[in-house]
Amino acid sequence: MTQSHDQHTEHIAVDDPIIEVRDASVTYDEGTSYVLDGVSLDLGRGEILGVVGESGSGKSMLASALLDAVPDPGLLSGTIEYHPDSGAATDILELDTEDLRALRWEEISMVFQGAMSSFNPTMSLRKHFVETLEAHDEDVEAGMDRAHELLEDLYLEPDRVLSSYPHELSGGMQQRALIALSLVLEPEVLVMDEPTAALDLLMQRSILLLLDDLKEKYDLTMLFITHDLPLVAALADRMAIMYAFRLIEIGQTEEIINHAAHPYTRALLNSTPNLDAPLEEMRPIEGQSPAPINMPDGCAYHPRCPLAEDQCRTEVPDFHIVAGDHGSACFNWRESYDEIELVHLDDGERAIPEGDRQ
Amino acid sequence: MNSYFVKRTGRAILTIWLVMTLTFGMIRLIPGGPIEMLRARLIRQGVDPSRIDAIVQTYKQDPTPVYVEYYEYVTSLLSGNMGQSFYYQEPVSALIVDALPWTVFVMVTATILLFVIAILLGALMAYHEGTAFDTAASSASILLSSIPFYVLAIGFVVVLSYQFGLFPARYRMSPGVEPGFTVQFLSNAIYHAALPIASVVLTQAGLQALAMRGNSIQVLGEDFVRVARLRGLSDRRIAVRYVGRNAILPMYTGFLTLIGFNIGGSVILEQVFTYPGIGYYMYQALINRDYALMMGVFLIITTTLVVSVYIADLTYGLIDPRVQSGGQSEAY
Repeated sequence: MTQSHDQHTEHIAVDDPIIEVRDASVTYDEGTSYVLDGVSLDLGRGEILGVVGESGSGKSMLASALLDAVPDPGLLSGTIEYHPDSGAATDILELDTEDLRALRWEEISMVFQGAMSSFNPTMSLRKHFVETLEAHDEDVEAGMDRAHELLEDLYLEPDRVLSSYPHELSGGMQQRALIALSLVLEPEVLVMDEPTAALDLLMQRSILLLLDDLKEKYDLTMLFITHDLPLVAALADRMAIMYAFRLIEIGQTEEIINHAAHPYTRALLNSTPNLDAPLEEMRPIEGQSPAPINMPDGCAYHPRCPLAEDQCRTEVPDFHIVAGDHGSACFNWRESYDEIELVHLDDGERAIPEGDRQ
Repeated sequence: MNSYFVKRTGRAILTIWLVMTLTFGMIRLIPGGPIEMLRARLIRQGVDPSRIDAIVQTYKQDPTPVYVEYYEYVTSLLSGNMGQSFYYQEPVSALIVDALPWTVFVMVTATILLFVIAILLGALMAYHEGTAFDTAASSASILLSSIPFYVLAIGFVVVLSYQFGLFPARYRMSPGVEPGFTVQFLSNAIYHAALPIASVVLTQAGLQALAMRGNSIQVLGEDFVRVARLRGLSDRRIAVRYVGRNAILPMYTGFLTLIGFNIGGSVILEQVFTYPGIGYYMYQALINRDYALMMGVFLIITTTLVVSVYIADLTYGLIDPRVQSGGQSEAY
């Protein structure tokens, strides 16, 4: 198979993007190494995009970048265009302090990992809501009515929760209260950075279901960041896979789960623990992901990739169009179908050889 | 309803009772005593030994059992009677009532002042962490903290009082000034207290400023500060309600106990400045073997410390919602 027929592109576009990220990079040492490396991606209006990657793959950095809130002294470059419902698109990175302050939480809001540490421990939850409304010159009374409704939507008792201090709530309640707080100004986009990481499995599932309801009711666009691939697969419309600070694969959830074209994604799918599968079938990925100061040349995955060849060691691959809006940043995406079998697919689903698709 | 309150009160009372009892026991263990002192004085005066025995005999009371003495000691203490000062020939309680307000004035003012300075300086250092200002302020704090307050106090007396005559070197106020709510009295009292206060503030503020700096840096790194910034809160509100409040809270107990400790530390400070507060009287009592006065001041000093810890325990719950009277069950 030759590369000549291969279509490739810088990024996979969507029809009606609400946020367009182009070549977003974050560096902490003025360009010697990157903790987010040339990420380009579109967030479609009204979709749920799941961003998956292991710890230290740059996914939280991507979330912070969307609000131009990269922790100091990080330097963020590239463009992040926000397209409001009506009106002209703005580059978030060009906004002045006051406009940025208005954009955050009013247009793009964020739920951090660890709700337990996202509230001021010496302030009641009501105060958190009120001061947020006041800071954005909103009508406090109407805003608090919205807060009540949001808390009810999240199956919390509004009055009880609002008069509580953070430590008086359980982890799951704090997480839901934080989601309500992030939605109190009716934002268009909700960025969630590992919102369920500190919760038990049952709570994770129930919060995901609630998020789905909220998304419908409030017409939200969501970017959901997690390291838990099966979790987000149940929720997301599309999935984006990150490895070593770069985006390496993006496509419809269905597509990614069943026809992942990047060797890393396939290995990731195979390494997912499954209660039903016997232990022998567990396939951890050999080696470890690179640190930002020690990035390999070419494709960052090549030291661990069974398909790596000379080109992978020297060139960083673009997105290769696998099918429709499914892109994979791999030169050998065709070979990966045959070389790396997906263990979670039973034989019925593999009736059509994957290499013959398209 | 409030077992925490009952527990703390019980503990405070128990501590004070223990101090009372220990004082009683320890004084009894000190060799000698007023009668031995009297005998020694009479011998020095060359009085005839048989005459001495007779005089001593008149002072000697029938030996009372220890528990009766203890009972009388405790009951008179509870009725406010601390005995008669052997040296000043005045009731101990009268001396203390006269001296305590001055010591409290100096030490409470100093402690409040040093905490205000420490909180502002510490927060400023935290916000400018790593800058030249931070390094300079931290170094100065460490340097000043390593000087004992009495060394600085002696330096003040020698240089500012004797060499330049800028401040008085002794007493609570100038002769002829009448206590009262007059500008003259208040300014005169502050003028006399300035150097004692300054020596406490300068040598203790540094350590507290470093504590505030550390707390603030920790709070500044917390997620909730980052979330607050993203929520669009003003920097001022974040500095006061988020960083300030959470950084100051752990220092509150230290503040109240430091007041107690400083009142104990007045023994040396007031000696250096010849400032007649309770510390000054304690020193005089030690030199003159004035047991009653010694016991009285000792009791007052320990009681102040116990009371300040007690107040800290009881009020901490009011300022930190996370510590709501211990025993209460979790709300959810």
